[in-house]
Amino acid sequence: MHSASGQDSSAPFIRSVGRALPPHYASQEQLIAAFRELWAKRHFNLERLEDLHRNVQVGGRYLALPIDAYPALVTFQQRNDAWIREATALGEVVVRQALERAALTPEDVDHVFFVTVTGIATPSIEARLANRLRFREDFKRTPIFGLGCVAGAAGMARAADYLRAFPTHTALVLSAELCSLTLQREDLSIPNIIASGLFGDGAACAVLRGADAPGAKGPRVVASRSVFYPDSERIMGWDVVDSGFKVVLSAKVPQLVKDHIQRNVDGFLATQGLKRGDIRHWVAHTGGPKVLESFEEALELPKDALARSWASLREVGNLSSASVLFVLGETLEQVAAKPGEYGLMMAMGPGFCAEMVLLRW
Amino acid sequence: MAELELEVVAEIRRIAADELEWKGVVEPQHDLVRDLQLDSLGLTVLAVGLENRFRIRLSEEDAQGVRTVSDLAKLVVRRVASTARPPTEVRS
Repeated sequence: MHSASGQDSSAPFIRSVGRALPPHYASQEQLIAAFRELWAKRHFNLERLEDLHRNVQVGGRYLALPIDAYPALVTFQQRNDAWIREATALGEVVVRQALERAALTPEDVDHVFFVTVTGIATPSIEARLANRLRFREDFKRTPIFGLGCVAGAAGMARAADYLRAFPTHTALVLSAELCSLTLQREDLSIPNIIASGLFGDGAACAVLRGADAPGAKGPRVVASRSVFYPDSERIMGWDVVDSGFKVVLSAKVPQLVKDHIQRNVDGFLATQGLKRGDIRHWVAHTGGPKVLESFEEALELPKDALARSWASLREVGNLSSASVLFVLGETLEQVAAKPGEYGLMMAMGPGFCAEMVLLRW
Repeated sequence: MAELELEVVAEIRRIAADELEWKGVVEPQHDLVRDLQLDSLGLTVLAVGLENRFRIRLSEEDAQGVRTVSDLAKLVVRRVASTARPPTEVRS
């Protein structure tokens, strides 16, 4: 079916998604071995903690630094300095890759939306990249810190909003998340131990072009919807402590998904004259196994609808805001989508909140 | 209530307040899920805290039939007793 907005000629296009992982791979068993000694300082039943790590169904992670470099990172400054260095390096790789795939150059970029939750920098990372890549002097910058895992989808939505106002422009959504550099090794709480089993490092960059930009092609961002869940501040986030970012993670996330996502998705799709059955391509943030199961259950998704999200979770872990962009990139490259088919990006993050982005090929 | 059981209940109160941000009271008859609103992560935090404090191991099978604070305290007391028992010599 075709909705009025599905034929919206002002809807921006997604041209490409670049993706990169840092070079230092560690399997889950290598990571467990590295953590055991640390856990033994406080915990008695180490097998229980190993099971927690294995239950997140992540096979391994790509780390920003060699595994033996992490114990030396003690202060926030040490962690954040490493984050700035590595996020800039990985950011450069994915911006170059994304622009090349879109047959564009840094000179073509009008606006960069940079999203992250794993480090802070002033000037922010996109400014540092401007000096490496030579963006134009009038390029606009929107660094966004704090949206967490939702920022991949939310960044796409905000970039699309911008491109509706400036339909000849080109925008980048750049995500660089180095979760391993936030790990508080001395925080031996269970939420931190689970987080240390789930989150990985990676960067992604999507190139979007306005509807009137030359050579625009690819799926269009038809519409987006943000959802804020009141009084859920302690579901997920950081407690900022002297040594950096200490994770706040509640087990209520899967239940929140189960309780709300069906109503949120159906309500959003209805505004576009669509139903769940009209969505052919699901692009879900890889929150964790229970979150993906909750998406499948609440949305009554067909088997394998989230296969790319499951594969990404197993291969690289939860990359925070970069995850949904990884799944989007794989969808663009692996799926032979037909013109007129719809896709839905979904992510959730601290707030607690959700973002949905409707795509049409 | 035996002394050790009282000690376990006190430790459950400490974990609830310090690690689970529970601001209400904790009584032995309280249901862990219904009254203390513990989810799977909260129950894990509680189990790990008790394992650490009393140097025991609790398993999924142990959790069968554990519904209240009192049930949990009694389970920990039983596990402490079985863990502390000196090994008996096996004679053939």
